[in-house]
Amino acid sequence: MPIIEVKDLAKKYPLPGKKSEFFYAVDGISLNIEAGEIFGILGPNGAGKTTTLEMLEGLNDIDGGSATIDGIDVASQPYKVKEIIGVQLQANEYFDNVTLNELLTLFAALYNREVDTTELLSKVNLLDKAQARPGNLSGGQQQRFSVACALVNSPKILFLDEPTTGLDPQAKHNLWDLVRELNEAGMTIVLTTHNMEEAESLCERIAIMDHGKLVAEDTPQNLILKHAPEPPQAPMHGNIEDVFLALTGHGLRD
Amino acid sequence: MPTKLQLHLAKIFLKIFLRDRQSIFFSLFFPIIFMTVFAFANNGEVDPIKLGIVNNSASEVASDFSQILNDNLLFNVTVGEESILRAELVDGDQTMLLILPEDFDAQSDGAELQLLVDAAQVQQLGLIMPLLEQTLISIEREFRNIEPMFTLTIEDVQARSQRYLDFLLPGLMAFTLMQLSIAGSGFNIVEFRRKGILKRLFVTPIKPRDFITAIVLARMAIILIQLTVLIIFAVTILDVRIVGNFASFYLMIILGTFIFLCLGFCLGSIATTQQAVMAVGNIVIFPQIFLSGVFYPIESMPELVQPIASLLPLSFVSTAMREIANNGASLLDITPTLLGIAAWFIIAFMLATRLFVWKEVAN
Repeated sequence: MPIIEVKDLAKKYPLPGKKSEFFYAVDGISLNIEAGEIFGILGPNGAGKTTTLEMLEGLNDIDGGSATIDGIDVASQPYKVKEIIGVQLQANEYFDNVTLNELLTLFAALYNREVDTTELLSKVNLLDKAQARPGNLSGGQQQRFSVACALVNSPKILFLDEPTTGLDPQAKHNLWDLVRELNEAGMTIVLTTHNMEEAESLCERIAIMDHGKLVAEDTPQNLILKHAPEPPQAPMHGNIEDVFLALTGHGLRD
Repeated sequence: MPTKLQLHLAKIFLKIFLRDRQSIFFSLFFPIIFMTVFAFANNGEVDPIKLGIVNNSASEVASDFSQILNDNLLFNVTVGEESILRAELVDGDQTMLLILPEDFDAQSDGAELQLLVDAAQVQQLGLIMPLLEQTLISIEREFRNIEPMFTLTIEDVQARSQRYLDFLLPGLMAFTLMQLSIAGSGFNIVEFRRKGILKRLFVTPIKPRDFITAIVLARMAIILIQLTVLIIFAVTILDVRIVGNFASFYLMIILGTFIFLCLGFCLGSIATTQQAVMAVGNIVIFPQIFLSGVFYPIESMPELVQPIASLLPLSFVSTAMREIANNGASLLDITPTLLGIAAWFIIAFMLATRLFVWKEVAN
């Protein structure tokens, strides 16, 4: 039973300079995302990944096709959808001079809820930063904090837009662990990424987008079998990231 | 009435806003300086006019005449040689020079007095001419032994002496609350948008109406604190008198703040950059400074402008505040003004909730 059903989804924007002509940023995408899976959307910059997510999140108008989340139509009942999803955006600046604790309280209030900030912060490994300001966090900590903000309403589905972009390998692995943990507790996770390793090791299924269209959708294993070119003659022993991690350890540096 | 959710949110936003003590403090700087300057510039005393007298007549009448002018506090009289005083007039050391002719005496038959002025000081002529003539007439009466037929005494029917500062303060308060409010909500919105905070809030199920109400309530609390500081400063340090009921005065402040916070929201929704909100803000703020009776009464403006001017939101607010502060008007006395405020209250809130569309403002 798919928890997210997307059918012929489209988003058009006016061409720069020519008001009357349009181009499709998302051009008729159909997808089914199953409850409880980690689904990755890949694609080069400008492929339409973020626009697709934004339409599902209710941030952007749907110009064609339809999307339902947990049986709720996104276009007609955006506020109902917002109640059951958690969203982490690419840009995550917050109010100045506000502690993590207070921000979580604020976000919970936006859902008209109370929240145990201690539990939430310990879940993302930031309990010792409860009184810190977001501006004073490292990149990895900021990402984990914005995941925490996305969890205040105990969402059924968590949307992550390029969650590991700009993180060092330790922070990246730490975030993956967090995502796996949430997923094991039953949360459906939809993420966009440029990181192939992330797509391959973290995601159960991936969709590859280009020019607003879906070019492939399957498990990483099947995609490799179907589309990967011949393997190289002499297989390498791991990659440079394995080397980096072996030399610098897995310990978090935040 | 605000809902529990709105109040809870407002409390959190208030805590956030209160952290920014610097801007809360510095936005009080201008009105306080402004009021202080006005208080000292208009302390009710006019500098005496420096009047030089050249007495070409040897008569007793002439010396009596210059003595009478000398006794008048409005004048600072110097009697001296024409050539010297003329030079002083040119240099600006004298404002006017009065020359009494040789035939200025008891037998005078239409003797001609000469008044030399510096063209730059010409606006004072209107003040000085009647005084001179009055003095001349009373001297003449004395010599001819004529009793005056009429006397004119002036009585203020309102029976209270009002300084310009007392008049100014309510207007200045209204003006300050407009500025603080428009800047408070308008700049906030643009800043939140720039940081992507609005977008983040938009993915939560908060409704624009709840968001606006919460921000307005939180901002209002801060502005009320600021205005209270201003009022205390004006009343205790500058000795400004507020005649009317304080609760009514505050009610006007609250209503006015609400109106301008909502209008600030509109600006923040239309303008996308800090520069743009500043420019659009000035379009709203500047005409009201001049047209809304902040610095002088609306009635003193050209008749064509008055009907438009009196419909501006700041006009209603400043009129209501001034009526209460200066004349001790009750809320019932100012019903028409209150209706105007109520109309703007509704218009501003409707406009704010209409223009503040998450999808457009957040992206």
